[in-house]
Amino acid sequence: MANDNVAGAGQVAPGAGVIHDIGYQTYEGPRLGRGQIALALCWHSLRSAFGFGRGAKAKIVPVITFVIMCAPAVINAVVMALSRSHARVIDYDTYTGNLRVLVLLVFMAAQAPELVSRDLRSRVLPLYFARPIRRQDYPLAKYAAFTLACLAMIDIPVLLLYIGTILQVHGGAAVWAQTRALVPGLLVGLMWAAVLAAIALALACVSGRRAFSTGSVAIFFFMTWTLENVLTKIGATSGPPGPRGPVGASAAASAEHVSAATHLFGLISPFTVLDGVRQWLGGTSQGIVAAPAGYGVAYGVILLLLLGISLAALVRRYGSVSVA
Amino acid sequence: MTADPASAERPRDGTAGQHGTTVPVIATTSLTRRFGPAITALDDLTMAVGPGITGLVGANGAGKSTLIKILLGLLPPTSGSARVLGLDTAGHGEEIRALTGYMPEHDCLPPDVTATEFVTHMGRMSGVPPTAAKERAAESLRHVGLYEERYRQIGTYSTGMKQRVKLAQALVGDPRLLLLDEPTNGLDPAGRSAMLDLISRIGGDFGISVVVSSHLLGEIEQICDQLIAIDAGRLLRSATISSFTQASQVLAIEVDDGADVLAAELARRGAEPVRAGRELLVLITGEHTFDMVRDAVATLGLPLTRMEQRRHRVEELFRDSAELAGRLTGAIDGQ
Repeated sequence: MANDNVAGAGQVAPGAGVIHDIGYQTYEGPRLGRGQIALALCWHSLRSAFGFGRGAKAKIVPVITFVIMCAPAVINAVVMALSRSHARVIDYDTYTGNLRVLVLLVFMAAQAPELVSRDLRSRVLPLYFARPIRRQDYPLAKYAAFTLACLAMIDIPVLLLYIGTILQVHGGAAVWAQTRALVPGLLVGLMWAAVLAAIALALACVSGRRAFSTGSVAIFFFMTWTLENVLTKIGATSGPPGPRGPVGASAAASAEHVSAATHLFGLISPFTVLDGVRQWLGGTSQGIVAAPAGYGVAYGVILLLLLGISLAALVRRYGSVSVA
Repeated sequence: MTADPASAERPRDGTAGQHGTTVPVIATTSLTRRFGPAITALDDLTMAVGPGITGLVGANGAGKSTLIKILLGLLPPTSGSARVLGLDTAGHGEEIRALTGYMPEHDCLPPDVTATEFVTHMGRMSGVPPTAAKERAAESLRHVGLYEERYRQIGTYSTGMKQRVKLAQALVGDPRLLLLDEPTNGLDPAGRSAMLDLISRIGGDFGISVVVSSHLLGEIEQICDQLIAIDAGRLLRSATISSFTQASQVLAIEVDDGADVLAAELARRGAEPVRAGRELLVLITGEHTFDMVRDAVATLGLPLTRMEQRRHRVEELFRDSAELAGRLTGAIDGQ
């Protein structure tokens, strides 16, 4: 029994109790400052995003999603080895768009709550705030950690793709060409990670209930993604003028009109916004959304808004947590 | 470190110097905190807390939580100021929190990690490097009386064990000051006394100043060197326990029947007996009080069931003696 334990120790203590004999050891070592504590929190959170330091069950989703994410890189290596041309079949900057979207969606829905809603649920936050960090340090450390986690999910497979590729190309020039193609791919990964992590955490921290937390992340990303897909398809099918439609100049105007709508639909989902920005910034690979053409600025603005609003919501959420 | 008052009380900090200068562990000056125009949580609170164990007494809503937040530098006062360990809460919050351990009243433990992992992590969050944090966690858990159980998930613990994990996480950073908010909440009598023993040892043997809040006055009076009572955000009274104990002894007398007659007889003999249920309470003013009661009972030939000397309850310490009689009744009835 718990209570008996201490009561027993208390009874033994007078005179020569066990506890008295050992005595209280003070800590004379270095005390780390706010920055290093925030860094420690970030590292701890990054580990927990992949289930490290927890049981085997916590590792299931991160491991499965990661393996699936790596599959295209492996397939690319195999295809390159078997084909005569030795040409890379997957682009660094888009990797495999739809697969990346779905895998990240599952990963974020499962793991973002791990970082934020657990602490809300168990009401452990007052213990953090009573320590030498400031309020905003907590959400920002969590954001940094989840950005790194998403970055690992995105860019490690891209790096595997690169390694699989350079093992099968010949000559320094070819390797250099691959490396030059890789860098934008990694940067796109960073952009995805930074924006998606902010949105996912802002959605996950609305509730301490893990189910709600996961639900809000999954529903937001899935619904916007589905909506974007459906609307784009409708736009595409109604686009080409039928036999009774006008011909010539007016047909071209009609096509332009449709593509304008498609561009706006692309702003619905964070994933397509990210891909639109990639193309606006010069990415040429075929992505998950049509090249935004004249709407590039809109994609950029929406992206910054998503990031800014999400981070503000995240920091604000933790400003209202009571301590005592 | 020069203005560090706790160091004066802790032999280990001899290097810090400043011996003999007893700066209070906590000092507040006209501390006021309002929430909007209607709510005043703290009202012109001026007090000083010395080293040792201090009881912070007040009903729920008396302003204890607000006071703790201000002392941790997490909430700015509306006016007035507070100093903790010689540091102003305005602008030195991080330094204060590095030297202060806080144990909240409510549940604050994740169920799915072991106590060792949790306390180690909290040690890291207190600024202790990784390896030292592990050692400190083991040390703290041992001090609170968790041994092999510390490798079990916290979710499997009893309430008493959870309270001790909460205390261990407050201790892990080797603080100079511990703020314990209702540490005996939810514990059974054995658990309460074990927790009080533990706090008493921390305040005594460990040399850590402790502020322990409670609404159960009787229990903290056992372990405190000093008591501070706040009510509606105002200081009701602040004093050391010893200054009260001499004048605060009561004699409880229980007779099978005829309590009213006895009360009248005692009153005639100059005492001011207070009726409390089946008991009569008489203030002990010296040896003669016992004689007087004995004589009164003998004169009336009443069957005396019990006669017991008691220490005054803390609640009474904070009341004017003129009001003693009435309040005493209320205090006993209130239990």
